[in-house]
Amino acid sequence: MPHGWTGKILRVDLTEGRATPEDLNMPWARQYIGGRGLGTRYLYEEMDPSADALSPENKVIFATGPMTGTYAPTGGRYMVICKSPLTGAVACSNSGGYWGPELKFAGYDMIILEGRSPNPVYLWINNDGVEFRDASHLWGKNTEESEDTIRRETDPQARISGIGVAGEKLNRFACIINDKSRAAGRSGVGAAMGSKNIKAIAVRGTGAVEVADQLKFGELVFDSMRLINESPTTSKALRGMGTASTVAFANSIGMLPTNNFQQGQFELADNVSGQTIANTVLRRNKGCYACPIGCARVTETSGETKWKGHGEGPEYETIFGLGTDCGVGELDAVLYANYACNLYGIDTISAGGTVAVAMELRERGYIPDEDLADLGTDLKFGNADAVIRCLEMMTTREGKFGDLLAEGGYRLAEHYGHAELFMGSKKQDFAAYDPRAAKGMGLGYATSNRGGCHMRGYSMKVEWFAPMEERLDPFAEEGKAAALIKLQHDAAGIDSVGMCDFSAYAVPPERQVELYETCTGEETSREEWDEIGERIWNLERLFNNRAGLTRQDDSLPPRMTEEPLSGGAVQNQVVALEGMLAEYYRLRGWDDDGNPSAETLERLNIQ
Amino acid sequence: MILAHPDKCVACHLCEGACSFHHDGVFQPTKSRIFVHDLVDEQTYVPVTCFHCADAPCLSNCPTNAITRDADTGQIAINDDKCIGCKMCMVACPFSVIGFNEDKNVSHNCDFCGGDPQCVKICTYDALEFTDVESNEWMIRLDEAERPRAEA
Repeated sequence: MPHGWTGKILRVDLTEGRATPEDLNMPWARQYIGGRGLGTRYLYEEMDPSADALSPENKVIFATGPMTGTYAPTGGRYMVICKSPLTGAVACSNSGGYWGPELKFAGYDMIILEGRSPNPVYLWINNDGVEFRDASHLWGKNTEESEDTIRRETDPQARISGIGVAGEKLNRFACIINDKSRAAGRSGVGAAMGSKNIKAIAVRGTGAVEVADQLKFGELVFDSMRLINESPTTSKALRGMGTASTVAFANSIGMLPTNNFQQGQFELADNVSGQTIANTVLRRNKGCYACPIGCARVTETSGETKWKGHGEGPEYETIFGLGTDCGVGELDAVLYANYACNLYGIDTISAGGTVAVAMELRERGYIPDEDLADLGTDLKFGNADAVIRCLEMMTTREGKFGDLLAEGGYRLAEHYGHAELFMGSKKQDFAAYDPRAAKGMGLGYATSNRGGCHMRGYSMKVEWFAPMEERLDPFAEEGKAAALIKLQHDAAGIDSVGMCDFSAYAVPPERQVELYETCTGEETSREEWDEIGERIWNLERLFNNRAGLTRQDDSLPPRMTEEPLSGGAVQNQVVALEGMLAEYYRLRGWDDDGNPSAETLERLNIQ
Repeated sequence: MILAHPDKCVACHLCEGACSFHHDGVFQPTKSRIFVHDLVDEQTYVPVTCFHCADAPCLSNCPTNAITRDADTGQIAINDDKCIGCKMCMVACPFSVIGFNEDKNVSHNCDFCGGDPQCVKICTYDALEFTDVESNEWMIRLDEAERPRAEA
């Protein structure tokens, strides 16, 4: 058994109902680390990128990294890679919880789902044993009911990853939920799974993950724990308030997207801030597998409003999506909407972005009354009931309007003739950072290989969060391309190795390299780590180009490039994208249309 | 003993990884001697390991006298050389915290890692504590007494 790996992948042909173990391609594992990089390598090799994402030709790959299942801090991640039904580009969504390590313990590094099952099924992997089981009784069930039922039918200790009703209905931003509230959230990976008629994958594993240099690895892990405990970001902010700690900060400087990015400050932000959550609805912290940070919020609504429930969340992005961006400032409503998204299996960011653009379209008079007959409430900013009702309609594709919502914000806005009001890139909604207040985020949104997203090079790190002397002027365009490229490579590295991006606040790439070396026994270096990140980035880009994406898709909506943001510290700012983009292409070694040059591909050894 | 504070546990399972890695050199929760029960619906996570019971059913049920108690510390230990892998101790344990090593064909319980328990060391949320229960009784009672006020 290779160190850090089980050395086996499971290929699942859903059309034929056949599951075959095969050896992991170790040269690829060396070249692409694992997880995101390795999964993308398989996808690039095996599918035609121009195929329809909802057709049986798409493949859905569940990939772990070499660190998944070890006790390297936050070493519990897995990724879902496929062609995205939302963007048409490559999708890679990352999730924590306990499912990824369980897959390793069962003896597989990766699962590749192919084809389409004639009937609804779920997969039951019990170490060596793999069964296709009928899922017709689970079809139409929410993620919690589905998980509970499968656990009853299999093993009380089974870990389950699967879709809700939204995935079944091919909602284009449906997610995959594991362990009840951890989500491989973005880009509609749940719809790709639903299109294959597979409800869930249940796993129970009793095996082991081994590392190459036990003594060294153990020392590095304990020292990395110390780094995490000493870093104010990981130990204070994320433990104390979770990602919601960002609400107050973003609002104070005026980059908290409000009412579909029309404003950068929200008057009710205090109601939904990390501090308010910690003081009121927070029950306790939770950590994913091997996570010493524990940023997850186990919460319960206050009980004083009509919105009642309990679950996990909200994350900062959720507070923005279902809250501020829709003008909603009632904390209980945001919590309720968050729990609903987890049960339905939809991405909270894109769900919120879609409702927000619908609200603006309606307020501007572009949506006729008859289209909203089924809604039952006013589609306007600040109306929490409308948000919650829209979530329901987009999940089940209820009526004509529900059907439009389920297609995502871009297609909805396009239908009503105003695609420019959609706030996203490559048809995927932006995350909760207004790029007019952090120009690097704008370039990041535009160039992200999976569309609007904050996890593909989080430029906030150098524009706002770095120590003063290292900080880049957030309002300047200069130097952002180079800084972003470095961050994009770092993100590709940590996604691929199987650790959480949040650990990177305390555990730098240099340390990730050491952990990787002692885990796998493979020698590498900081320089090579960066090169692997670049290789992954270029491979994703190649996939997208072959899928038909061009320079036109590396864009921002006119609101970001023409309408200045006002309020807060951010006055008269727009994103001058073209200059940054040209520099970005040049530094990447791409031609003017965004195609990697032959020399670039040769240098990176991409075949 | 390893005293668990379930109210502080975040269900990260790091203790299980640290345990199996220390004892067997692998990451394998089924080989761990400490187990975290995550009762997700109840919002409760409980680490459980050997309590080294004063009246230990494992000890009295062991047919080969492989299980002994240290007269000074009260620690319950399983002797690999005497253990025949019959699993009687596992059946007898009221908390089901005795594990079994299939490779060596012997059962095992928490051995405090020889005095430096790795689970306690790795737990960043202080949910595990290596201590004598007796000397801590007063503190535990005080914590419990103060809890209603802290929660108010």
